[in-house]
Amino acid sequence: MYIKKILLKNYRNYSSLELNFDNKVNVFIGLNAQGKTNLMESIHVLAFAKSHRTTNDKELIKWDEEYAKIEGSIQKRNSTDILQLILSKKGKKARVNLIEKARLSEYVGNFNVVMFAPEDLNLVKGSPQVRRKFIDMELGQISPIYIYNLSTYQKVLLQRNNYLKKLSIKETTDLTTLDILTEQMVELAAKIVDKRLQFITLLENWAKGIHSDITNGIENLSINYKSSINVSEKPELSKMIQEYYDYYEKNKEREIYRGVTLFGPHRDDLELLVNSKDVQIYGSQGQQRTVALSLKLAEIELIKTETNEYPVLLLDDVLSELDNSRQTHLLDTIQNKVQTFVTTTNIDGIDHKVISEAKIFKVKNANIEY
Amino acid sequence: MRYPEPILKLIENFTRLPGVGPKTASRLAFFVLKMNEDHVLEFAKALVNAKRNLFYCSVCGHITDNDPCYICSDTSRDKSKICVVEQPKDVIAMENMRGFNGLYHVLHGAISPIEGISPEDIRIPDLLKRAQDESIKEIILATNPNIEGETTAMYILRLMKGTDLSITRIAHGLPVGGDLEYADEVTLSKAFEGRREL
Ligand SMILES: Nc1ncnc2c1ncn2[C@@H]1O[C@H](COP(=O)(O)OP(=O)(O)O)[C@@H](O)[C@H]1O
Ligand SMILES: [Mg+2]
Ligand SMILES: [Zn+2]
Repeated sequence: MYIKKILLKNYRNYSSLELNFDNKVNVFIGLNAQGKTNLMESIHVLAFAKSHRTTNDKELIKWDEEYAKIEGSIQKRNSTDILQLILSKKGKKARVNLIEKARLSEYVGNFNVVMFAPEDLNLVKGSPQVRRKFIDMELGQISPIYIYNLSTYQKVLLQRNNYLKKLSIKETTDLTTLDILTEQMVELAAKIVDKRLQFITLLENWAKGIHSDITNGIENLSINYKSSINVSEKPELSKMIQEYYDYYEKNKEREIYRGVTLFGPHRDDLELLVNSKDVQIYGSQGQQRTVALSLKLAEIELIKTETNEYPVLLLDDVLSELDNSRQTHLLDTIQNKVQTFVTTTNIDGIDHKVISEAKIFKVKNANIEY
Repeated sequence: MRYPEPILKLIENFTRLPGVGPKTASRLAFFVLKMNEDHVLEFAKALVNAKRNLFYCSVCGHITDNDPCYICSDTSRDKSKICVVEQPKDVIAMENMRGFNGLYHVLHGAISPIEGISPEDIRIPDLLKRAQDESIKEIILATNPNIEGETTAMYILRLMKGTDLSITRIAHGLPVGGDLEYADEVTLSKAFEGRREL
């Protein structure tokens, strides 16, 4: 799939913008603070109904304005879809082909995007939260039920944490309510982790080959899902629900004492191994970056196998962060199959056929020329 | 420019209603000024009457102007079944569907630690007392199909386990307004999973 056209109204520093894109590579060149990332972000928001940079939607609305609007026309194999997103101080509205979608899980997935930004180079080194967010975003765009289970889980978790706090300060002593919240949580926890395990297996399959290619066969990448309760290898859902249940049962006193939920998918992590060594601990910065790149490229292929269409790739300020061989590998991979957006302050350092054939846009203070 | 005091008061009062913002409130207020006096008086009386003469049924908790309410005192109804709902408006929705001929129990809320609502705050103790009556055979849990409604249903079920009451759980459609989470595909997949055996 590719995005043919975007319209922005009051989005970040753009008052009003209309752009037509090339279906292959689009390069945005400009000095800092001109609006390059804002434009990439708007494409990301159109896909996910949320930003990769902030959880506060109000920041996306141009200062002193009431609302922001993003509209894009998405060309797919057999259809063109118009996606619209209106952000106001009260909330957001999402439409697909003029039909309003009341649920996030009905909207996300209509337009698939993979973003690779400098902060993604942190995927390996950063906190577990960064890796969980990576899984949740990517899995969410191919599985609406995952989004649903995750958001329900988060709500139950909030209730359960609140209740554990009350128990810990002895504001209540009723354990039945805790048992019931636990019962509600274990089912969701198991469903979420079950999906994550499937996803990681597929992702690892792709990432292994890609990583081996980039490193000329020297490095062998493997990915392990580290669950906070150590679920058994390839468990059945019903068995996993039981495992979660037993675990919470066993640690009830401890959780009450601490006043917080200590286990569950919100505490899980990924372990990334290169040649059987944890690359987070032992890897060089270069190795860590290569792993991040392999994961992102694997994700592109995974989305293609799951949805039958390639996603759109956003490379914000990241190309210049990669050395020549990684740049070449990345650009070879996307060549002629993935619509790609590149932002950079300077195009001179990048020498590849893909870039010389790209559509070039110049970004200056929210004005875009081509 | 400032509005005269009486109109400000009127706007302020409309703003207290749910879903009414300042703009709508002032439109309504100016509309009232144009209404004829009889209608305004009737409106004002209706407000006061509803508040003064309506209260909650001492048996089931439904809104009523007689105690017990018209449902609890209707001898033709099946007194062996109690349908547990969250709000009086749920009773009205069930009655409009005309499929149920038993009695109700209105909880006036659902268990939610975050909002500080615990089982004792929502007439669960009353329900337990009612359920001890020999004539009661079946309890139907019709709390909302969201997390708090589900917690409440499971809680009641837990308390009644071991009694010889038959307990069933129904979900009467989606919450009004459509919660962001109740996706179609999700509703479908829930249906496929089948209802949990209670
Ligand atoms: N809500 C907003 N309204 C108006 N301007 C904004 C808003 N948010 C950010 N900006 C402006 O956008 C600019 C940053 O744009 P950005 O796209 O991040 O730059 P770059 O081209 O370096 O990627 C800054 O000048 C900032 O002041
Ligand atoms: Mg930038
Ligand atoms: Zn009654």
